[in-house]
Amino acid sequence: MFIFPGGSWGFRELILDALSNLAFGFSIFLQPINLAYCFVGVMLGTLVGVLPGLGPSATISLLLPIIFHADPVSSIIMLAGICYGAQYGGSTTSILLNIPGEASSVITCLDGYQMAKQGRAGPALGIAAFGSFIAGTIGVCGLMLLGPTLANLALRFGPPEFFSLAFMSLTLVTYVSKGSLIRSLIMACVGLVMSTVGMDPITSRSRFTFGVPALLDGFELVYVAMGFFGLSEVFVNLGQSMNQEIIQTKIKGLLPTRQDWKDSAKPIARGTVLGFFLGILPGFGAAITTFVSYALEKKFSKHPEKFGTGTIEGVAGPEAANNAASSGTFIPLLSLGIPVNPSTAILIGALMILGLQPGPLLISTRPDLFWGVIASMYMGNLMLVVLNLPLIGLWVQILKVPYSLLYVFIVLICQIGAYSVNNDVNDVLLINIFGLFGYLMKRYQFEGAPLILGLVLGRMFENAMRRSLLLSDGDPLIFFTRPISAVFLVIALFFLISPILTKKKIGEEAIDAKE
Amino acid sequence: MRELRSGLFFFGLSLLVLWESFRVELGTLKEPGSGFLSLFAGLGILGLSLVLIIRGWGVREPGKPHSHRITLVLISLFVYSFVLDSLGFIVATFFLVAILFRVGQPRPWWYLVGMSALVAFLSYLIFGVFLHVYFPRGFLGI
Repeated sequence: MFIFPGGSWGFRELILDALSNLAFGFSIFLQPINLAYCFVGVMLGTLVGVLPGLGPSATISLLLPIIFHADPVSSIIMLAGICYGAQYGGSTTSILLNIPGEASSVITCLDGYQMAKQGRAGPALGIAAFGSFIAGTIGVCGLMLLGPTLANLALRFGPPEFFSLAFMSLTLVTYVSKGSLIRSLIMACVGLVMSTVGMDPITSRSRFTFGVPALLDGFELVYVAMGFFGLSEVFVNLGQSMNQEIIQTKIKGLLPTRQDWKDSAKPIARGTVLGFFLGILPGFGAAITTFVSYALEKKFSKHPEKFGTGTIEGVAGPEAANNAASSGTFIPLLSLGIPVNPSTAILIGALMILGLQPGPLLISTRPDLFWGVIASMYMGNLMLVVLNLPLIGLWVQILKVPYSLLYVFIVLICQIGAYSVNNDVNDVLLINIFGLFGYLMKRYQFEGAPLILGLVLGRMFENAMRRSLLLSDGDPLIFFTRPISAVFLVIALFFLISPILTKKKIGEEAIDAKE
Repeated sequence: MRELRSGLFFFGLSLLVLWESFRVELGTLKEPGSGFLSLFAGLGILGLSLVLIIRGWGVREPGKPHSHRITLVLISLFVYSFVLDSLGFIVATFFLVAILFRVGQPRPWWYLVGMSALVAFLSYLIFGVFLHVYFPRGFLGI
């Protein structure tokens, strides 16, 4: 039974309600403008998936200034398309060129590229695309059923629950991000401090402005994210070789054989379930789920020794997992307003820029947005399969664009994007400062994701904390005496303490596996 | 060395955060003030940076080589942000793009001038004309 504030529903009612809402979503999505935005989103997503050094987070940040004047539903449909489209694009270059466009496609190189070398690039690409489509579609079904249920449950949340939820999200993201926990926690704290810069909404007192009028409105997510994910990536890539070698591979027959389907069916099913549920959890990005899926397939396989030599299971499982995870990340985003990775953190910022309030009320106040996005994800996945397979040759050609040309356009878009937010030259200076800061942090192995999450969640975190303490007359035990809040805090504390006991983090395991 | 340097940086930052938190009033548990959250975040940074300092004390690591390309791009970007208002978007962008192309790969001067002019003009057309971004015109009025 699914319990709602107004009573309890059975599974049948839940399905019927979801289907009628989905029909409403399709009526929104099938408007020509939304179809066009979805098409642009999935194409851009595939493009950034193909290009190494430009990820979905950077692309969404680059587009933030452009969506200011656009319709919120169309904008989020496009940005969501970038998130899941990138998973498709990444696999193409992993298989054909042994170049992972995304971190979530690294594992696909192992067997995908070997298959290509054996003249089986077609089936590898085919199973990656079809597996991604199946997993993506099932993931959207899960999102459709779980999202509203979770949002309805979250309507019971008060300030203490929101405080604990935000605290748990920050802890989980710092736990699973790459590198040391200490560095990630520092970045999360810096993000929280950055969220307090500007006027205090309660006392109207200016904080951390140091007499600079440009800081009175606080830091805009647009230039912080563009600096941290766009510019700093450029600086990192500038420090490396700009010459990339392109290997020519012949592609024959994209449709997998019956035997390929037989071998891939179970890995796709397992990858879908695993990716979807890990994707819901804060911090488990698509990349980690692919490593877990690969390890799982190797364990289940009757011939694990063949993994790494070109087995189709090694492509099907992880590719399904990263697409299902991509859908899973939208559950906490749309139902609770909680970002679970950098891309979704920037999406939260995009919702705010568009004048929407992310959180449990989003689905009930803007059903057109939620169901429109759900419908777009079904069709977007279909668009990706139909368009991507014939366009594989084009993506490979695009990869030949030298980085020495590409980076000029990325830098210029960052500068113009930052300026166009407020038509203010100070914002151009700020994006460059954040770009430099982000680059230095990367050199010193500090991750940007916890900082962005701290910045995005900071305001909610502070408001919830202040209101909780006001409610409890200054008693901090309110966070532990309310059961849901206590559960969130116990989970957070477990993840804070466990690295001390195990001396190993999930992110580090993923890095080890990558190496 | 890397941990020590970053630890010292964040230690300094935490002192600044704590100073500002006290300045803007902490409030009480009953009525948290403007500096309440930043106080705890600052204390967190302070404690964690001390761990980095202790861990990095006496440890010597080979430094990563720093590319001169990054320095050149950074300098040109900061100069761009300072001269954008006075030179105007088209002129400032022309010079920025020319430098960026040159840093990326050595190219003949006619290529640099032609491409930079084209990129500056097209970006003005797309963002300034079609997307109605009001770019600064500078002393030349363009």
